[in-house]
Amino acid sequence: MPNHILEIRNIHKRFGDQIVLSGVNLDISEKEVVTIIGSSGSGKTTLLRCLNLLSEPDDGHIYFMGADLMDTKTNLEELRMHIGMVFQSFNLFNNKTVLQNCTLAPMKLLKKTKEEATETALNYLTKVGMQDFIHQNVNKLSGGQKQRVAIARALCMNPTIMLFDEPTSALDPEMVGEVLTVIKNLANEGMTMVIVTHEMAFAEEVSDRIVFMDQGVIAEMGTPKTILHQPKEERTKAFLRRYRQS
Amino acid sequence: MMILASLPPKDEFLSTMWYLVETYSSFFIRGVVITLLLSVVGTAGGFILSLFLTVLRTQEIDQRRDRLGSRIIKRIGRGFAKTYITVFRGTPMIVQAMIFYYGISPLRLSWWTPLVAGLTVVTLNTTAYIAEVIRSGINGIDKGQMEAARSLGFSRRDAMFLIVFPQAIKHSLPSIANEFIVNLKDTAVLSVIGVFDLFRATSSATSSNFRIVEGFFIAAIIYLILTYITGKVVQKLDVLLEKKEVKANA
Repeated sequence: MPNHILEIRNIHKRFGDQIVLSGVNLDISEKEVVTIIGSSGSGKTTLLRCLNLLSEPDDGHIYFMGADLMDTKTNLEELRMHIGMVFQSFNLFNNKTVLQNCTLAPMKLLKKTKEEATETALNYLTKVGMQDFIHQNVNKLSGGQKQRVAIARALCMNPTIMLFDEPTSALDPEMVGEVLTVIKNLANEGMTMVIVTHEMAFAEEVSDRIVFMDQGVIAEMGTPKTILHQPKEERTKAFLRRYRQS
Repeated sequence: MMILASLPPKDEFLSTMWYLVETYSSFFIRGVVITLLLSVVGTAGGFILSLFLTVLRTQEIDQRRDRLGSRIIKRIGRGFAKTYITVFRGTPMIVQAMIFYYGISPLRLSWWTPLVAGLTVVTLNTTAYIAEVIRSGINGIDKGQMEAARSLGFSRRDAMFLIVFPQAIKHSLPSIANEFIVNLKDTAVLSVIGVFDLFRATSSATSSNFRIVEGFFIAAIIYLILTYITGKVVQKLDVLLEKKEVKANA
């Protein structure tokens, strides 16, 4: 039995009368990289947002390191500190500099000293190639730069797992590469990650497992090779055909 | 008799104005000081109180996790903030002044003077308006800011205080400065309870000679100078803030 970081059990979610997730089960093992693909409206982003309860499922259980996030007695804030998240639209704090974006949470939540937090932040900002911009206002950065800072910000909390919600969808094409490289490096270092993406080549390269979602359920999952080249399900095939045509 | 003797004839507008300024300069100066005091205290006090109101108003109830007690407390807080804003924005300040001043006067508190009542009313009134300004500032902040903070492990309250409020307040500063300018003018209504502001000072200066138009022409000019200068200062501050930001980014 491998060591599961996350266990998702039968989660359901609806917005009004629209059913977005209907009974999703998924386990994420330590050091595993899982990408979630699927057409828009398939529920993949909602599923990811449920993993740290930014969206709250209507039903089901999500166990993070054994603790049920859906249990109302669980200290959500405490658990979220260990779950890093990177958003499609970056969501850097606009009233903070690059460095402050990275040191705020470690100082306030992990009670690190300013020196410790700065050291960690500089370490990660260097890793994502943003060490020369630390005192900049985040609004002056390009999309790719913002996303790399956002990744560093999440890493500064020393998370057990990282969630990526379409990290390159809001980027200009020439900036996609720099962000994907950073994520690939993380994968190589053994970070556990769940990534929602439209970048199939990237998914193939980086994933241990690909999850194909359709109409609120996991239609098929397996190794990149099986899902992208020998899919069994008709809807997976149809999705890949549409993707390759476009 | 001395004063009446030197009062210029009725059709001499400018010399009458000059006469009033010279004779009643102490009235006008006192009036300006009181008007400025009302506006400064009202706007600064209103800003501080509006923050409390905003905190009460922006509480969110978590149906699954909040206990019954905290759900009720939050609901009461939100209800209070909403009612407060509706009442103070929905009634004229002149009416509020009458109710507060004459409502509390029977208690015979030695410190409850017209000026204290005026300061209280303008502060409470401005609170409601600034709370509304900050609310729209908060609505203008991208939801992603809150989500990013929550995803790092911040509580909703921490995320509000560290990330959302500072941005919302910064965006609201021009509108808050505008409230100050509004107060410079609108505190004239407080003369109804006997506050010796610029309006009442002018009334007093013209009560014995009936040169009302000339007197209030002076008041108009003084009000205009006050609002014009304040407007310019606010503009300068805006430019300075922008410059500071550009510098910080360079």
